[in-house]
Amino acid sequence: MMRALLFIVIAAVVLAGLALLPSKLGGEYGVGLMLGMAGYVTLASAWALFSGPTRYISLATVAFFGIGAYTVAVLSDHLPYPVVLAIAALIGFVVALVVGLATLRLAGIYFVIFTFGLAELVRQLVSWYEVNVTGTLGRYIFLPITAEQIYWQLLALAAITLGIGWLISRSRIGLALKVIGDDEVVAAHTGIPIAGIKLGLFAISATLITLVGAIQAPRWTYIEPAIVFNPTISFLTVIMAFLGGAHRLWGPTLGAVPLFLLFEWLSANFPAHYSIILGVLFIAIVFLVPDGILSRFEGGWRRLRRGARTGGAS
Amino acid sequence: MSALLEIQNLCKQFGGLKAVNDVSFTVAEGEIVALLGPNGSGKTTVINMISGALPPTSGSIRLGGVVLSGLPPHKIAHKGVARTFQLVRALPSLTVLENVITALAFRGKPLWGAQARSRAEELLQQVGLAGRGPEHAADLTYIDQKRMELARALAADPRLLLLDEWLSGLNPTELRVGIDLIMSLRERGMTILLVEHIMEAVRALCSRAVVMNAGTKIADGPTAQVLADPAVVAAYLGDEDA
Repeated sequence: MMRALLFIVIAAVVLAGLALLPSKLGGEYGVGLMLGMAGYVTLASAWALFSGPTRYISLATVAFFGIGAYTVAVLSDHLPYPVVLAIAALIGFVVALVVGLATLRLAGIYFVIFTFGLAELVRQLVSWYEVNVTGTLGRYIFLPITAEQIYWQLLALAAITLGIGWLISRSRIGLALKVIGDDEVVAAHTGIPIAGIKLGLFAISATLITLVGAIQAPRWTYIEPAIVFNPTISFLTVIMAFLGGAHRLWGPTLGAVPLFLLFEWLSANFPAHYSIILGVLFIAIVFLVPDGILSRFEGGWRRLRRGARTGGAS
Repeated sequence: MSALLEIQNLCKQFGGLKAVNDVSFTVAEGEIVALLGPNGSGKTTVINMISGALPPTSGSIRLGGVVLSGLPPHKIAHKGVARTFQLVRALPSLTVLENVITALAFRGKPLWGAQARSRAEELLQQVGLAGRGPEHAADLTYIDQKRMELARALAADPRLLLLDEWLSGLNPTELRVGIDLIMSLRERGMTILLVEHIMEAVRALCSRAVVMNAGTKIADGPTAQVLADPAVVAAYLGDEDA
């Protein structure tokens, strides 16, 4: 009880500190940097909620992200902003349920390909609709929301995402997820409703991702399918979660922060070679730290302690 | 004694192969029945159909009058069927205690939190793993993994326990321990259907045996009588020796 209270106090202080950071950092650039970082921390953490424990690698991140952004672009002129966000979340949730029902029986590589295809399909559908029905490819978003306000919303969403992850890890669902990750046959025979749990988790994860897209949308002012359905967003999310460790609560955050800063620096200094370096990094991470740096550290720490113990005995 | 498990005209077809062909038998409440037969005779397929790992091609399986056939495994588990696996399936990333808590947390009447912990510790003690809860399941020896798997199955508070070669791969001392463990379950009125190749264990534990060969049932009766049946001996040893 005491520890939980202490944790909440510390979390609140850290959050407040992070919320005030851009104004101290000063300048438009500082705010933009923190905003992008908060966005990717949320994306990677939300992605890992589902893909970490189930080991289903989803490349549909950008499908939901783009759905969120487009919902805001289409509705923001007609409805109050909070209502638009709620509708975006609802659309993401429903799409995730439909997609999940159709695909969660697929295993391994088939699921990866399907989710990648889904993102492309949504992008093509939106492009087709815009060109043939609306008559223009792009849309403008004029909302009186400052970059700092967007950052605060993303920060809150990141906190909510981590909070959900923490609650799940302490619940029966968290245990069920570990069992499903280990052995689905045993999971089913001990009475775990595997399909229902996967579907629910996929929907929660997708809803959060949709909200990231919706909240970030006003930042662009002008959007088109190539921007908000850019598959690089899906790949970056996966690589960030992998680097930190997708099956740890703080893993995706730990991966997202350094990688986001690195990509910022790379795209500013090596704009032409950005994609090549990204590809090399992706391969390096999968080869060198397949379970993420967090479990690397834990493994190293355990070896160190064991070494100290046997060293002391001899 | 009334029948708890009723299997009627059960069939399983894998392509052109009839793995289980028109098998019917019953298991009464509190009874320990052996399901015997040479390798490939369809015993494990029957167990897999009862637990829901495989759907039957035709026929019916009932537990206490409730139809199980066609349900997914987690629903069958909730109706009161628990099992162990021919090759032990520990959950390697979990601790021993968590392995048991899993079954408690997702049974028909779930237990969670402190209640689940203390019940899980009780069950571990019952199978001879007292105080071993914090160890990683993957680090246990083979017999201990088997004990843990049994504790996990018992945690579900099952009406019917399916043991698929639970005693195989044990050395003579461990075998004695294993047989005693199952005996203690019988004394507490557990209904068990077990697949086993170790005849010593079958004779000691099972009042009745059902024998299968090439997918069909060839004998069903008191264990001693069934094992003396010429058709059963022929199935195991070949016609010349019978």
